[in-house]
Amino acid sequence: MSSENPVSDDVLREEVRGWLADNWIPEQAAAVGGTERIWGASDELKAWLGKVVEARWAVPSWPVEWFGRGLSASQAKIIIREFASVRAPGAGQDRSSMWANTLLARGTEPLKAKLLGPILKSEVDMCLLYSEPGAGSDLAGIRTRADLQGDHFVVNGQKVWTSGAAIADYGMLIARTDWDVPKHAGISFFFCPMKQPGIEVRPLRQITDESHFNEVFITDAIVPADNLLGGVNTGWKVLQTALAYERSILGDFARGARSGAKESRKEEVLIALAREAGVLEDPALRQEIAQAIAYKKLNSLNNARVKADLEQGTTSPAMSLGKLAMSRILHEEARVRTAILGAQSLFEGSDYPRAEDANFLTLNAYFTSIGGGTDQIQRNIIGERVLGLPKEPEVDTSIPFRDVRTS
Amino acid sequence: MNSFSAEERLALRESVHRLLSKGSDERAVRATMDTPGGYDSKLWQELAGMGVVGLIVDEAHGGAGVGPMELELVMEEVGAALLCSPFLASSVLAAALLYGLADEELNDRLLPGIAEGSCIATAAVTGRNGCWTPDGVTVSGQEVDGEWRLDGCASFVVHGQSADVLLVLANTSQGFKCFVVESGAAGVGMTALPTFDHTLRLTEITFEGVKAEHVAAQIPAWDAVARAMDLTLVALAGEQAGAAQRCLSSTVEYAKTRIQFGRAIGSFQAVKHMAADLLLETESSISAARNAAASLAEDADGAAEAVSLAAFACADAFVATAATSIQMHGGIAFTWEHPAHLYLRRARADAQLFGSSSFHRERFIQALGA
Repeated sequence: MSSENPVSDDVLREEVRGWLADNWIPEQAAAVGGTERIWGASDELKAWLGKVVEARWAVPSWPVEWFGRGLSASQAKIIIREFASVRAPGAGQDRSSMWANTLLARGTEPLKAKLLGPILKSEVDMCLLYSEPGAGSDLAGIRTRADLQGDHFVVNGQKVWTSGAAIADYGMLIARTDWDVPKHAGISFFFCPMKQPGIEVRPLRQITDESHFNEVFITDAIVPADNLLGGVNTGWKVLQTALAYERSILGDFARGARSGAKESRKEEVLIALAREAGVLEDPALRQEIAQAIAYKKLNSLNNARVKADLEQGTTSPAMSLGKLAMSRILHEEARVRTAILGAQSLFEGSDYPRAEDANFLTLNAYFTSIGGGTDQIQRNIIGERVLGLPKEPEVDTSIPFRDVRTS
Repeated sequence: MNSFSAEERLALRESVHRLLSKGSDERAVRATMDTPGGYDSKLWQELAGMGVVGLIVDEAHGGAGVGPMELELVMEEVGAALLCSPFLASSVLAAALLYGLADEELNDRLLPGIAEGSCIATAAVTGRNGCWTPDGVTVSGQEVDGEWRLDGCASFVVHGQSADVLLVLANTSQGFKCFVVESGAAGVGMTALPTFDHTLRLTEITFEGVKAEHVAAQIPAWDAVARAMDLTLVALAGEQAGAAQRCLSSTVEYAKTRIQFGRAIGSFQAVKHMAADLLLETESSISAARNAAASLAEDADGAAEAVSLAAFACADAFVATAATSIQMHGGIAFTWEHPAHLYLRRARADAQLFGSSSFHRERFIQALGA
């Protein structure tokens, strides 16, 4: 069970199949909640994940001392495939768990010993404490502060757009630990305990009238020094590690879109809606519907090409375009839905489900065009990292953070 | 049909790229577009020599016998270089129409010449309204004493004035039929049409009692035209995608080197964001063109959807890229000497040549069942 004594693919496949045959009851799938990682795992899921972790299937490419088998990425995939084929959750967390991977890569030994197992078993819930009211697109402009006092840090500030904050046990937190150095150089990265008096979580009411996110008010919250990842003032680097894992997960979702495009032989929803509304013969609307569907299909085709390129070992610039494409798709679909409904879109409430859909989607499209980096930031990234255009001159990156202008 | 491996496709593309980067550079394009014929016969022979002119003609008739995917890749290079040639008319549209009609004796007679570039063929389908639909056909055929005679007018005939052989679609009392006419035959009148895209040649052709050879088609003539159109649209989509990509990359290079206000203009978000939006357009056009080619190669059920999607997505992407490229360059691209307008002219021509974007969007939504 170590990388010095590699097992063959076939032996490994037999072992995992045998283990699943002995332990996994397919009827369990509904009880444990399928293969999706969800907030607040059920007891059944926790029990199952415990078994998976103890059997070293959760993170097979990790080292042996941390629940792994030291396997190659390709052998780890064999395990993912076997789990997926019987719809058993819990495998492949060495690819899918941003929390566990960030902790393994940058955490202190005591913190790893304390939390790696519980995270992999979903015994602890996590949230992200990154964005602030004054630091959205400019994330390195955070003003939440962490001050070392003896063996712990004292944290003060406000975070926002945190999902799952109310049930989370720990939050991955970035906070400023040095105000006299340039903004990227004075940030540290913590696992902040959430269940303490200094943490107050308030739901945030969105323009859709839903509440999927929270504001988190932090007042003299205590974070043990062991919960610092990567050392003081190197938080920006740790954050990049965490974001890279987050992106690779999003990438997995993007690549999944291909099969979605193929499977559906159902009528396109915009066509069905126009038919239902009796406006499918309107030539102007037909053009708009066709174009909106085209945006979606083109994005699926881009994703399929990216995937094929990756399999050939090459990369394509189309890789970085998915988010920008998706925001156009969502805004356009919502706009065309509204055009199909016409005056019906004036209404609200359960008596008007089509209007509810169109109006909700119109507002919710901003979730994608603002959240996770606005379209404008996305265009900067594409321009600079993909096309190689120079950055705008930055006025705040080489002066002490305390001298940076704020709103 | 020959199927190329991924490596062979790249090698084919690379060799076309090398030939065109010399033979169809900007200077060559400008020189060729000012000639009456609109193509460089020496370059045409070189393209024939490396098997490009006979790309889709089968090996038995002296061609390379490859399919839509290879054709699409070659067309990306053709578009990038703004190649002036009767390739689309003769090597793609006419050759594909001959395959669709499947008159073996005729194919034995015409395809070898088309493949080696010594015979230029084109198709005369639409009339003066430029509609690639059955009601756009304005040539009629009549059988008199066992001889077919054609009357009427065909327009928007690509490279008609260079053609040796015309494949003419005509309405007859038995429905549409396809005919072969030598371009010099008695009663054929050729008028070169002035085109906004100087790299393109379009011809209006009149027929007055022209003796024509009836093609012994194996399928209804309009079906053969529709099939040939699909392949031609895929080729055109490749041209548009390749040209759009070249347009964007040269514009991005300019934005990195043009300095105003003490910095490269590409560092300004107003310019950078235009480039990012165009990258989404050009990458989507590449995906659409290649997907349409793959669908045709598989003869997949979704081919009608894939081809019409590529037709308008690539047309719109090329027009948007060429147009925005001029804006991003500023004053320099408003001059005749700068090549940006050559791309915009080609983009606007390609976007109308075989049906407008709205025509193809309508085809697309019909293919989706609406």
